[in-house]
Amino acid sequence: MSIPISLMAHLVAGYPTDELAKAAAQGLAQGGVSYFEVQLPFSDPSADGPAIQSACAQVLSRGYTVSEGFAFIAYLRQMFPQIPVYAMTYGNLAYRRGIARFAEDAAQIGIAGLIIPDLPFDHDEGLRQACTQVGIDAVPVAAPSMSQQRITLLGNHGYPYVYASLRAGITGTETEIDNRTLLFLDSIRGSSRLFGGFGIRNASQVGLLAPYVYAVVAGSVFVDLIGVHANEGVAGVRQAVREKARELTGM
Amino acid sequence: MSTLGYFDRFGGRYVAEILQQPLVELEQAFTEALADPAFLAELEEQQRNFVGRPTPLLYAGNASRELGGPPIYIKLEGMAHTGAHKINNAIGQAMLAKRMGKTRIIAETGAGQHGIATAAACARLGLECVVYMGDTDVRRQQPNVAGMELYGATVVPVHSGAKTLKDAINEAMRDWATHFETTHYLIGSALGPSPFPDIVRTFQSVIGDETKRQMADRGIGGGTLVACVGGGSNAMGFFSTFLDDPSVRLIGVEAGGRGPAIGDHAVRMSGSGAEDGIIHGYKSRFLVDADGQVAPTHSVSAGLDYPGIGPQLAALGERGRVAFTSATDAEALEAVKFFARTEGVMFALESAHAGAAAIRLARQQESDEPIVINMSGRGEKDLFITSPLLRLEEWKEFLVSELARIGGIE
Repeated sequence: MSIPISLMAHLVAGYPTDELAKAAAQGLAQGGVSYFEVQLPFSDPSADGPAIQSACAQVLSRGYTVSEGFAFIAYLRQMFPQIPVYAMTYGNLAYRRGIARFAEDAAQIGIAGLIIPDLPFDHDEGLRQACTQVGIDAVPVAAPSMSQQRITLLGNHGYPYVYASLRAGITGTETEIDNRTLLFLDSIRGSSRLFGGFGIRNASQVGLLAPYVYAVVAGSVFVDLIGVHANEGVAGVRQAVREKARELTGM
Repeated sequence: MSTLGYFDRFGGRYVAEILQQPLVELEQAFTEALADPAFLAELEEQQRNFVGRPTPLLYAGNASRELGGPPIYIKLEGMAHTGAHKINNAIGQAMLAKRMGKTRIIAETGAGQHGIATAAACARLGLECVVYMGDTDVRRQQPNVAGMELYGATVVPVHSGAKTLKDAINEAMRDWATHFETTHYLIGSALGPSPFPDIVRTFQSVIGDETKRQMADRGIGGGTLVACVGGGSNAMGFFSTFLDDPSVRLIGVEAGGRGPAIGDHAVRMSGSGAEDGIIHGYKSRFLVDADGQVAPTHSVSAGLDYPGIGPQLAALGERGRVAFTSATDAEALEAVKFFARTEGVMFALESAHAGAAAIRLARQQESDEPIVINMSGRGEKDLFITSPLLRLEEWKEFLVSELARIGGIE
């Protein structure tokens, strides 16, 4: 692989414990990831797969709060200032705190942007405006099922970053990205930088997608790995995550 | 109908981008179907000969006399096929899905009534059916699981989260996001992202339309309509015909459960425990904690323990058009016994919440304006829940002897 790979690695805040989540973040940093996407656990994460939902449920079962999630992100900002953190969560956590205050609190601890998949860009409850006001990015999610009309609408907003959720529309996951997906990525690119993912699990998949996006997102692969190695403690989790991150970034 | 998907400030389409287009297509197909006389004719034929409509409006004379109050009528919606109002919506949406060229139906179910209705409708229309059901519910609702399987549905136990209805909804949404090209998500309550609240209310409004005709036939009018409210499909179907008639009072009854503590009830409108929220694709009133996480709920009736309420009912509640009250587990159980004894009618535990509120009202009311209860479901499905509460020892003995009979005891 000749071009440098920009990888956005997903973590569930506090999963499986605060200590091991921090160890995983260290492993990701050592493995060369460019961005953290930290999920603040919500009780009903309907846009996530079962692995991430289970991880969120496990964290919430010990009474984990949004404030603890923010504290975890503050720790990441302090330890790895060179790696921007995007917070991903669901609308109700932001809505309950108040969208404006949520964005303010996020900016306060150095979050680069918010990804909230169930606040669609045209009904975002003021998220984009709130983010702009405090100098962070609202990152809308785009999907291959979008109509041309919606793609145009999204483009008109001029978001600096767009998150492309590619799970549907990818065929032959190991060998090629289908034409429809490439056309879709072209259609939403506009002037936005794209974060894109489709359930990435290995380096060849990263290599396929990397030329077409600003950063490749890898999510449940790390959540799974952390779960599997949790009983090996800090060193075990850190090492497993580091190795996988290195594989994906080609570092 | 909603205005661009909203009922005042509630409703909307708060789902991941991938589902926006499928919802647009669904809305379009729904609008077209309602304007197609052939679709409406087939719907009417299914309602008459499959669902068994019209369902009766029973004058509950014995109950009225015993309570010493106004005349009570019971809309026997539980006499619809599969035992509850759920079939009205299931057959309508299944027809709509078929019209859209979908071959596969997915549904969520809590107690199993919506699952049963959907499975039956799919069997009738030749559609593949997958029902998501929380693992906890699968365990405690085995008779309904058996029924769904008999109708040819695949029941998928959901092991995530609290393993109940809300988790089944998440799982169904996930399935739909992956398979929307072939699959219709047949939501069972008047909630979820737009246009589902409009679709479910429309297919359920046959309850109110019939009730209005039946009341007119008997020369009664005005009065009070009482319905239980989980998500709100039977209430919206019952009320919608009367929304513009100020002479009719509308009362929604929520699950008061064991009491007012968090986790002991599912009172969203008549108490102070709920907040505005955005969950499961729509904005409404929800039972949530300080962070916005969905709070635990309880009701003796599995159909009423959902943490949210349909957006139109939330709006009607805030406007004061629908008044809300609640009934406890114990009151509901008493109401089951009361109407069984006085009228020979066995209410489902859900509907018995409406029955309990009507009993309270009849005792207080001085005018002779009629009270009309929607008995949204019949109670035979609850025998496994009511028997241990009403006759524990005999029930234990029965279960033990049944186990022995089928060779389950070593």
